Amino acid sequence: MSFWLTQIAAVMRLEIKKSFFARRGLWIYLLALAPVFIFALGAFMARNFHVFETTMPANSHLLTQEQLDSVHSGMTRDQVIAQLGEPASSRTKHVRIFDEDGNRIVIQAEDMRYYGEDRSLILDVRNGVVNATMSRGRSTFEQSGYLFATVFQFFFIRLAVFFGCLGIFMNLFRGEMLDKSLHYYLLSPIRREVLLVGKFLAGVVAATVIFTISAALQLAAVFSAFDTNTIARYFNQDHGVSQVIAYLGVTALACIGYGSVFLGAGLLFRNPIFPAAAVLIWEAANPLLPALLKKFSVIYYLKSLCPVPVTTDPGLPSLFKLLVSNGDPISPYLAVFGLLALALLVLWVSSIKIRKLEINYTTE
Amino acid sequence: MNDQIVFDNVSKFYGDVLGINRVNLSIPPGITSLVGPNGSGKTTLMNLLTGLIRPSRGTVTTLGFTADQPEQLFKLVGYCAQFDSFPRGLTGYEFVSSYLRLSGRDAAECDELAWQAIDRVGLREAATRKAAGYSKGMRQRMRLAQAIAHNPRVLILDEPLNGLDPLVRSETIALFRYFAQEGCHVLLSSHVLHEVDIISDQVILMNGGYVVAEGNIKGVRSEIREQPMQIVIRCDHPNTLASRFFQEDHIVEVRMHHDKKGLLIKTSDPDRFFTLMNHVALNGHKLESVAPVDDDVNSVYEYLIGGEDESKS
Repeated sequence: MSFWLTQIAAVMRLEIKKSFFARRGLWIYLLALAPVFIFALGAFMARNFHVFETTMPANSHLLTQEQLDSVHSGMTRDQVIAQLGEPASSRTKHVRIFDEDGNRIVIQAEDMRYYGEDRSLILDVRNGVVNATMSRGRSTFEQSGYLFATVFQFFFIRLAVFFGCLGIFMNLFRGEMLDKSLHYYLLSPIRREVLLVGKFLAGVVAATVIFTISAALQLAAVFSAFDTNTIARYFNQDHGVSQVIAYLGVTALACIGYGSVFLGAGLLFRNPIFPAAAVLIWEAANPLLPALLKKFSVIYYLKSLCPVPVTTDPGLPSLFKLLVSNGDPISPYLAVFGLLALALLVLWVSSIKIRKLEINYTTE
Repeated sequence: MNDQIVFDNVSKFYGDVLGINRVNLSIPPGITSLVGPNGSGKTTLMNLLTGLIRPSRGTVTTLGFTADQPEQLFKLVGYCAQFDSFPRGLTGYEFVSSYLRLSGRDAAECDELAWQAIDRVGLREAATRKAAGYSKGMRQRMRLAQAIAHNPRVLILDEPLNGLDPLVRSETIALFRYFAQEGCHVLLSSHVLHEVDIISDQVILMNGGYVVAEGNIKGVRSEIREQPMQIVIRCDHPNTLASRFFQEDHIVEVRMHHDKKGLLIKTSDPDRFFTLMNHVALNGHKLESVAPVDDDVNSVYEYLIGGEDESKS
């Protein structure tokens, strides 16, 4: 057993280097970083350009939409306060304007902020009169968390991790056949099943490192839009730690599940397009499958493990509703066990295939 | 432990295409050359031996082990295959040492063995460069280093002299001889027949997926009865000898050498001819030399495979 472990470590040393530093794997990094970039851009816009509000003073109270709509230009500051109460925040500023004679003068102005359920109202008050009103959408931490959960399920797991694993795991054997270098492994004193395990584990390490780091960076980008108090509250009171661990764990399990599938596909098929399309359709059609067949799908287990369920909003297109619906959820323990069992089953079938594998590069 | 490489009624078909058919071989230690035209089954035979392909019928054992016992077999076997390729991104040294690690050896031992092998093929200076940038000859030598790094008892080499310059060729041949002298099997295929002739202890001639002949080249030649053996005699009085030879029924042809100091004889019975030569010598004829001229691989190849060969040099 220790001899096999030594051999597995030797295979992993070779393969991890190839998986991380292969030039043809550059697109996998881009795929993993794409959602990080999107979330980071959103946070940057929120913090620097106030495209939408992400913070709210702790002592502020939320106003109704009707209350916010009742304020208009021309009202005096006192009228506004009488109607809405003291602002949640207020900031005085100096504004340069032209007087009636065309001379530039500096006057004192004030920004008054009020917060509603899903938007905020900013009043530009000059000389005690509301000069302009500005309304902005407001993003709560919960909304951002929901947005992240949606992107995580729709894009990250179903597409980014899926195709990333396709690129990493299908190349473990098929790539070496195309490079005509697989025979060096097969001519070494190592059982082919041990080689399979070594390559699989190397792929899991590479995929897990790339995609869990991506998931962690995405979460960090989402958090960066909010103030430290909000983030601290999320981690201390709102199960933040368990949710973050769950997201990272689901990502790692997705790498194991899809990795085993594509490792097997790399041994069975020459062209990755056909198995990729077949698995993608199979995964998408999971909600439609009979109960028994559902269990042979990776997404079936992952959906049950995602910490924030993506509800089927009535406004969602039917296809999206179908993709996110989880009509038959299972317990997290069963989901983890089921996914690992599925991966082991695929690896066992792959080990039968690799025992009979023949090297005939000319037909590749 | 069995010291033979044994093919027992081995056939290999690629769909409907014949690879090799009903091959029975028992190969002893020493240098054995596989000779035959393209598509004759030489590489198929080597790939079967190393388990890169599986026989459709029959069994192959190497020193008692089959390809289903890789942990034992590949400690004994090194194969320098025909594929001129390297794993991506590795230097020559990394290529040799990384695959050595698969045998379970520790890093220090692999390091030592790798450098030993690299030194044997004379590539120490280039070993830290990426293998992808090597010339054809360097790639060939580095692949050879990888095949010999674990000091195998069976060395299998598919066209090992391709791309090597004359100096490196002779060094490589010396390396093969060293392995053979150590009691190892060196099984190689080559199209360069005069080199095969020089280095081989035995040959296996293949054509169309069949083994046409096997064994010591002189023994193989003597088995080819339908082709009279050609012998050159250098002597003082070739005319007298020629008239003597015409009296023998096994002498098929006698031709005078252009310098009038020798004869080219063709005989259908070499044994009777050499007995006759003993009598001739005893009767006082002064013979400078008597030497067969068609008991080399080239001639045997010509007789057994002949015009079908397109690749013979």
